[in-house]
Amino acid sequence: MPIGGFIITCAPEDLTAALEGIAAFPAVEVHGTDEKGSIVVVMDTETSEAMDDIVKTISRLPAILSVGLAYLNTEDEIGDEA
Amino acid sequence: MGVSRRDFLKQVAAATAASYVGMSLATTPASTAHAAGQAQKWVRGTCRLCGTGCRVELGVKNGKAVALRGVPKSRTSMGYLCMKGMLFHKLIGNQPDRLTRPLYRAKKSEPFQEISWDRALDIAAKEFADAIKANGNDAVAYYGSGQALTEETYLFQKIMRGGLQTNNVEGNPRLCMASAVGGYVTSMGADEPIGGYANVEKASCFFIIGSNMSECHPVFFRRVMRRKLDNPDFVKVINADPRVSATSRIADSHMQFRPGTDLAMLNAMAQVILEEGLQDDEFINNYCTFRIGKESKQVDLSSYRKFLEAYTPEKAAAICGGNITAKSIRQAARWFAKSNGTLSCWTMGINQRRRGVWANNLIHNLHMITGQLCKEGADSLSLTGQPNACGGVREGGGLCHILPGHRLVAKEPLRNQMEDIWGFPRGRLPSKPGLHTMAMFKAVNEKKIKAIWVHCTNPAQTLPNVTPYREGMRSDDLFMVVTDIFPTRTTECANLILPGAFHFEKTGVYGCTERRSQLTPKAIDAPGEAMPEVWIAREWALRLAKLLNDPMIRQCVADFEGKEPDYALPKAIWDEYSQKATRGQDNDLRGATYELLKTMHDGVQWPAPTKEHAATGGTVMKFVKGFDPLADEHSENDLPYQFYGPAHPDKKLWVWLRPFQGAAEEPDADYPIYFSTGRIIDHWHTGTMTGRIPELIRGNPYSFVEINPKDAKAYGIRNRDMVEIESRRGKIVMPARIRSGPMEGMIFAYMHDMAEDRMVNKVCVDAFDPGSKQPEFKICACRIRRVSGPKRLSPVIVQL
Ligand code: SF4
Repeated sequence: MPIGGFIITCAPEDLTAALEGIAAFPAVEVHGTDEKGSIVVVMDTETSEAMDDIVKTISRLPAILSVGLAYLNTEDEIGDEA
Repeated sequence: MGVSRRDFLKQVAAATAASYVGMSLATTPASTAHAAGQAQKWVRGTCRLCGTGCRVELGVKNGKAVALRGVPKSRTSMGYLCMKGMLFHKLIGNQPDRLTRPLYRAKKSEPFQEISWDRALDIAAKEFADAIKANGNDAVAYYGSGQALTEETYLFQKIMRGGLQTNNVEGNPRLCMASAVGGYVTSMGADEPIGGYANVEKASCFFIIGSNMSECHPVFFRRVMRRKLDNPDFVKVINADPRVSATSRIADSHMQFRPGTDLAMLNAMAQVILEEGLQDDEFINNYCTFRIGKESKQVDLSSYRKFLEAYTPEKAAAICGGNITAKSIRQAARWFAKSNGTLSCWTMGINQRRRGVWANNLIHNLHMITGQLCKEGADSLSLTGQPNACGGVREGGGLCHILPGHRLVAKEPLRNQMEDIWGFPRGRLPSKPGLHTMAMFKAVNEKKIKAIWVHCTNPAQTLPNVTPYREGMRSDDLFMVVTDIFPTRTTECANLILPGAFHFEKTGVYGCTERRSQLTPKAIDAPGEAMPEVWIAREWALRLAKLLNDPMIRQCVADFEGKEPDYALPKAIWDEYSQKATRGQDNDLRGATYELLKTMHDGVQWPAPTKEHAATGGTVMKFVKGFDPLADEHSENDLPYQFYGPAHPDKKLWVWLRPFQGAAEEPDADYPIYFSTGRIIDHWHTGTMTGRIPELIRGNPYSFVEINPKDAKAYGIRNRDMVEIESRRGKIVMPARIRSGPMEGMIFAYMHDMAEDRMVNKVCVDAFDPGSKQPEFKICACRIRRVSGPKRLSPVIVQL
């Protein structure tokens, strides 16, 4: 059950479209945005693989320039598998 | 607090991400936000953890620390804090396993007994006095810290050198900053950077090498990232490192070279600059000379050009491997040379090398030949790991070869100056530099050192190739005093543990990366019987004076006798240091009195000889007339820059001809993989503090090792498998994290774990730089094997 903190970047004029795209993923919470096109999100997924998939899918949305990981916690996941 | 652990982790994740882009979130960590509303008063000081020197305000309620917040007007941090900085206040005051009474045992196999301060100080004095009487002055030693207050380092070294007449005074900055000191002194004639953080907002090229500043100096990185994001095309970021880290995300070019080949790459950049005529001839003619060899023989520019022929980009790319190409070297050299202001930043990847001083020299070379110095946005800036490595240890006389105020022990006139200041007869101070860190602990092993005082650091975990040194520390042939706040791997080796006051439980100054001294006053009482270390040192000296029947030992503390330890005592020590010891030196701090520092949102950058200059924040750019009062005072000509540093008689910058030399231990058939270590954002050093903050230890409860996917495949290792890492010195086992961070053929392990089977320094090599004596923590050879699938692990925190 990893938790990740990400900075998603888009062009400032695409912010609304980007947020709409992100809203399709229930595992992704938006925590803040700024006028420069930065979106801070937290992902809470079942597995690292699921998180990777979401990151890849979001990265491919037309409005999104980049998805950068800033913080990742995978402790539970390690415990779960043991 | 009504917040689940997962909610907390989410807030941590969001706040960390937000800090990278300078975004303020409505939600701050629940515990902090909750407590913040309750503070009765806010006391301004400095973060206890890294060398960035962020300013904080501690919220106090009913004598307890309840919250922490940033100081928006601070020039070091502009209000931002990282997660560990935000949470360190949880350690202030009474923690369950805080050391609160003096503890003693005659033999290290015995349990500790609580004893009184009187008895503890008597024992400490008697053991040191006996060691000196039986084996001479150099049978005793002090090993301090870049986390001790300047007042503490200054007083301890004064007692050791002037009182006990030994220069066996060292500190853990030898393990992290010594090569930077060597680099600045040999290249620029004076220690510490010319500029500071203010250059970030003016720079148009960042050359970040051997530094994962995103995790190690997060708030400084935020400024660099903001500068890049605000000017994505105009500002170029080059990140040179064998490992792709969180820092690399903002890079236009990530130069991934084979560990230990940095010298070839840096020389090649210089070669391109001269080959393509990108050098600043006027700067070179006015300010630089070229030097080679141990004798610092002067040569000319054409010799330098000839020397660099061995480092064409093509030749260097062949040496460097990784993703380095002749094209990427040329591009980096052009960006570096042509930008309006280039700011280089580095940390341990450069300093913790067998040729760390040379690596520092070669970065400085690039700035000198391109004139990327002394102007806005341009600097060669070594980032400091610890909060007071610069202020206390480098400036306050905390290494075996330096006296306070950047004076060399070996120079008689400089010793005489300190003898006069301290009221000693000429000749009192020993002329021979003491033992550097690795030699000091070797001397412990050889039973030449009989008594050692370890203050605010953890050598039993941090020394490279730690196992044999730990054995020496555990021996009953050594009497060991440790001043600290929590049990550590080092208190396990002690005879006497003296409980010190923590940050904000005492008063004193920290000096951060950018030559800035900042005051942290006492805000709450230390728990139990814990005492400020300046009091401990003074009381110990008074007893030593009696036992050794030497009035000069008493002279060391004569001006401090009777002063209360919370404010008057550290103030008197700071006054002596700043008003007398730094007077006329390049780190002149006479203007930075406690009274003035208390009024500052941040602090004062030296030189600051007057209160008026100090009140402006001091010297933003050293050596520049009009900015640096000493540049005006020392001015010898009409040129705008005056390189008056004490180490260069010609008052010039020295461009060094330094050949490529690899790591001390390269991989071979038996140990085919490079082993490197470093930090993770949430933890600090050996985890003795951050490991006791529940939010931080839960987030990262143990170390793991990063393995490149290609290597993982070759060794049959999957994510989270347990992996054994073995070198010629020892082995450890930790979970694998498969990611393309480290380059192929290299692994990277996090260093904070104190579990016996995960202590990375059991594996590291203790080879060191012949100039700076700083060990090569960053590179050694190892082999790896999969031990098992994932295993449930528990965090380990040393208890008494
Ligand atoms: S960056 Fe360093 S000084 Fe600043 S808050 Fe974080 S740990 Fe403290």
